[in-house]
Amino acid sequence: MDEEPERAKRWEGGYERTWEILKEDESGSLKATVENILFKAKRKRVFEPHGQVRLGMMRHLYVVVDTSRTMEDQDLKPNRLTSTLKLLEYFVEEYFDQNPISQMGIITTKNKRAEKLTDLAGNPKKHIADLKKAKDTTCVGEPSLYNSLSLAMQTLRHMPGHASREVLVIFSSLTTCDPANIYELIKSLKALKIRVSVIGLSAEVRVCTVLTRETGGTYHVILDESHYKELLQYHVKPHPASSSSECSLIRMGFPQHTIASTCDQDSKPSFSMAHLDSSGSGPSLTLGGYYCPQCRAKYTELPVECKVCGLTLVSAPHLARSFHHLFPLDPFTETPLQDYQGEKFCQGCQGELKDQNVYMCTSCQCVFCVECDLFIHESLHCCPSCIHSQPNPPGI
Amino acid sequence: CRLNIDGLLVYFPYDYIYPEQYSYMLELKRTLDAKGHGALEMPSGTGKTVSLLSLIVAYQRAFPLEVTKLIYCSRTVPEIEKVVEELRRLIDFYEKETGERSSFLALALSSRKNLCVHPEVSSLRFGKEVDGKCHSLTASYIRAQRHSDSSVQTCRFYEEFDALGRQVPLPAGIYNLDDLKSFGRRRGWCPYYLARYSILHANVVVYSYHYLLDPKIADLVSKELAKKSVVVFDEAHNIDNVCIDSMSVNITRRTLDRTQSNIETLQNTIQRIKDTDASRLQEEYRRLVEGLKEANVARETDVYLSNPVLPDEILQEAVPGSIRSAEHFVGFLKRLLEYLKSRLRVQHVVQESPPQFLKDAFEKVCIDRKPLRFCAERLRSLLRTLEIADIADFSAVTLISNFATLVSTYSKGFTIIIEPFEDRTPSIANPILHFSCMDSSIAIKPVFERFQTVIITSGTLSPLDIYPKILDFRPVTMASFTMTLARACLCPLIVGRGNDQVAISSKFETREDIAVIRNYGNLLLEMSSVVPDGIVAFFTSYQYMENIVASWYEQGILENIQRNKLIFIETQDAAETSMALEKYQEACENGRGAILLSVARGKVSEGIDFVHHFGRAVIMFGVPYVYTQSRLLKARLEYLRDQFQIRENDFLTFDAMRHAAQCVGRVIRGKTDYGLMIFADKRYARADKRGKLPRWIQEHITDSSLNLTIDETVQLSKHFLRDMAQPFKEDQLGLSLLTLDQLQSEEMLKKIAQIAHQI
Repeated sequence: MDEEPERAKRWEGGYERTWEILKEDESGSLKATVENILFKAKRKRVFEPHGQVRLGMMRHLYVVVDTSRTMEDQDLKPNRLTSTLKLLEYFVEEYFDQNPISQMGIITTKNKRAEKLTDLAGNPKKHIADLKKAKDTTCVGEPSLYNSLSLAMQTLRHMPGHASREVLVIFSSLTTCDPANIYELIKSLKALKIRVSVIGLSAEVRVCTVLTRETGGTYHVILDESHYKELLQYHVKPHPASSSSECSLIRMGFPQHTIASTCDQDSKPSFSMAHLDSSGSGPSLTLGGYYCPQCRAKYTELPVECKVCGLTLVSAPHLARSFHHLFPLDPFTETPLQDYQGEKFCQGCQGELKDQNVYMCTSCQCVFCVECDLFIHESLHCCPSCIHSQPNPPGI
Repeated sequence: CRLNIDGLLVYFPYDYIYPEQYSYMLELKRTLDAKGHGALEMPSGTGKTVSLLSLIVAYQRAFPLEVTKLIYCSRTVPEIEKVVEELRRLIDFYEKETGERSSFLALALSSRKNLCVHPEVSSLRFGKEVDGKCHSLTASYIRAQRHSDSSVQTCRFYEEFDALGRQVPLPAGIYNLDDLKSFGRRRGWCPYYLARYSILHANVVVYSYHYLLDPKIADLVSKELAKKSVVVFDEAHNIDNVCIDSMSVNITRRTLDRTQSNIETLQNTIQRIKDTDASRLQEEYRRLVEGLKEANVARETDVYLSNPVLPDEILQEAVPGSIRSAEHFVGFLKRLLEYLKSRLRVQHVVQESPPQFLKDAFEKVCIDRKPLRFCAERLRSLLRTLEIADIADFSAVTLISNFATLVSTYSKGFTIIIEPFEDRTPSIANPILHFSCMDSSIAIKPVFERFQTVIITSGTLSPLDIYPKILDFRPVTMASFTMTLARACLCPLIVGRGNDQVAISSKFETREDIAVIRNYGNLLLEMSSVVPDGIVAFFTSYQYMENIVASWYEQGILENIQRNKLIFIETQDAAETSMALEKYQEACENGRGAILLSVARGKVSEGIDFVHHFGRAVIMFGVPYVYTQSRLLKARLEYLRDQFQIRENDFLTFDAMRHAAQCVGRVIRGKTDYGLMIFADKRYARADKRGKLPRWIQEHITDSSLNLTIDETVQLSKHFLRDMAQPFKEDQLGLSLLTLDQLQSEEMLKKIAQIAHQI
């Protein structure tokens, strides 16, 4: 019992540093450790030494969403399903923002069956629209991990070897109803180099632990909504590609956006190839657009795979956005505040440094607070004071 | 790493050490120094075995004259093998650190069934068959016969061993059961007899409890073990029951029938021998006149572990004349048998003390006390003389003669109860004579007296102070250790009420109450929807479990539970249970999830561990009081009250709580494991119950986890399970896992001092 006051202090210390207030609990000490873990996990994301690791930049990801009976549980507000779909919308946007040349598909599972909500495609709008529609689905029965993974496997196995094959399972139930031995399936997933990660909504389930460990994925269980969001965020960044994946050159087209001037008599409004199959929704006739350099098919949006000749069409900024994954900013060094001798102001937000630790850029020796550190590493991807001190910024 | 435990250099085969291991070794050292006995409680999964071994081996090396041998008693064969493997690691570490081959000999000993390498004998399925067959191949007169008649079969492994094995001692090293077998095969020696012979000069012996506590076996195996040995009883929370069982005798009609045929065989053999070789019987007669002097000399010179079945007084006297001759003895046995038969023909329950029984026997069939006392010894001599090959067949008559000796030797500490039928089936006549030992100290007394240090240890040994009382010894150290944890990985919750506020309890008055049964069902249902993988639920008895499950079925609760998890049930049939257990583990493994319904005091509660996903939660439905209407129990309670001043209620609560602790303790088997412990009975919240739980569980019970409703329990469980599912880094280092440097810091030593809780 003598340890109690000390623990309380530690708990308070942990409390100050967090930016989301966790629900209060009687057993304070327990929360403190969890908060510590959370905090460290957050830091870890920044710290992950990408260095010169090859990243799977072209990703093929299937998101499996459990829509079984347990998704009606109201421990996430208003219920698990609504909350999940909402976070997924956000996730889809982020995913395509950060991985512009990647594709994604969504699978739902309930009543011992699995079905595709959307096919593997590179257009976020379609996914988001379908996710919005899915809000009204009724959650019944049990999920089937086996069926949904084999459904994902059917498509992913045909994806080219240089692109990553990933599955992200959002698993709410504690059981799975499988038609056959799932360990056999795990073996074939492993053989096909499909990486399966799981986000659990209730507790650690053994089969998921094995599944993720064997296929090289990660397994997390949410604590609450903000933690949930963060765990999804974790899957936005590409993971290091396995060394065994193939290398190959990919043909890509960089179409230029041409706007036919209205005064030009020859210009006629034309259909975008992308809208051909979608049943006449939206303004399908436009004047300008991107023309495939190979076959001159017109598209209004990039990135896209040409419907006619199969060329991947991207724009330079898209590639540039993926580029920072390859040359990440070096992690800042962490030093305790009392050891730091200089001025106690953060270079980023100019606020006073109050936390226990400060973070220092290795190249320009400027210090930042933890929030700015996270912001720099997650969004800016370059150190502002390095840029500032250099009159000619090098490349990106 | 090398540790300094209170001035003793201890080699510890791991880089890191738990603080409680250090503390445990300190206590152990103190016990060894004082040459006294100790009782130590440390939670399972904290490396008790390796701490014990490291310290005692180090002590042996430092003071080879003070401690010559370690006798490690464990309960099951897998446990024995685990201990030996741990020891192997330790000795390997010694060799690596010191750079010299050690001359250390350690071995495991188990029954013939586990050690036999004879191609025919070892293929037999039951231990008894193996023993019998082995005896028929290795008995001395069989082998003597072989000299004259080469068609007589003997065991070539035993012959080889007998010829060569005793001259060269077993080379130094660590021998597990399989090592002994392969060594035996290589040399062509019998591993069983080799092991039995080698324990005399081995540094460490690992075997089962029975080799020390069961007088019949101890006499054969452990008689000559050195006095300066350290004896360790691991998992000793039930040691009193083992003691009692080893001294108790149950006699049924079947036993008597088999005795009858045994006696007939004896009579025929005697007749035959008399016709052919009368001198052999005369030789025996002469020997018996001499008496048991030899045994007496041996005991006085302190060579042997004394045998409680062979009381001191017998040794000083010669076998009485009335049973000296073989024929007279058989006649005597017949009379005894008839008397027992007549006693079993009762219509009502009879309870009497040994003196009453003797008096009655004297009045009815003129059997005196004195010849009765020599019965066991006399029978053994007769069987030897008659050269009967298969001793296993004579177990019935041996049992009766042991009973005769015990009943005439101990006037206190035993009771005789004759029941004409079982309580549950009053219409079926099935008379049983229970000769029940009530004093657990009788069987263990020789062990405490003979060996200089006896350590009793277990994960659940609370309350510690009751063990010295019931085993009648004076420990120099008694301590209970807590588990230092980097995260609170156990979560004991006491559920006292249903959501309808009805108190839930398994106490007799309310156990049939439909509201209580429904609430128990709801608890299981709710838990099955929040706990992943495996849940183990314990009931207080098979009967209670059957009743509850039947009424859950009627109420449709069972059906709802099955939507979440599969249900498996432990039954009294061992094969059925192990099948259920296997399927249960499979269901936990592949994500289906399962519930195992079992019974406190059953096989599952004692021997099976539910690590990690095999047991994420354990629910204890009710307080597992022993069946209090049993006459044997009543007699024992009375005896405990009169002899040891232990009140009935204290003992009953102690017994119930140690079984409850045993059940819930199944779920945590290490520091990386986690699990919920749910006590579903209002009475657990009371201080007298709660206070009897082991300290490592008790300290996690806060005021907020008492008397919860089912809803609250579910909420707390959800939180707990989510917290525990977070990645568990190696944060334990420095907190619950120490390097050598950390261990030596002042601050840590202070903390360690608090781990041991002296009593």
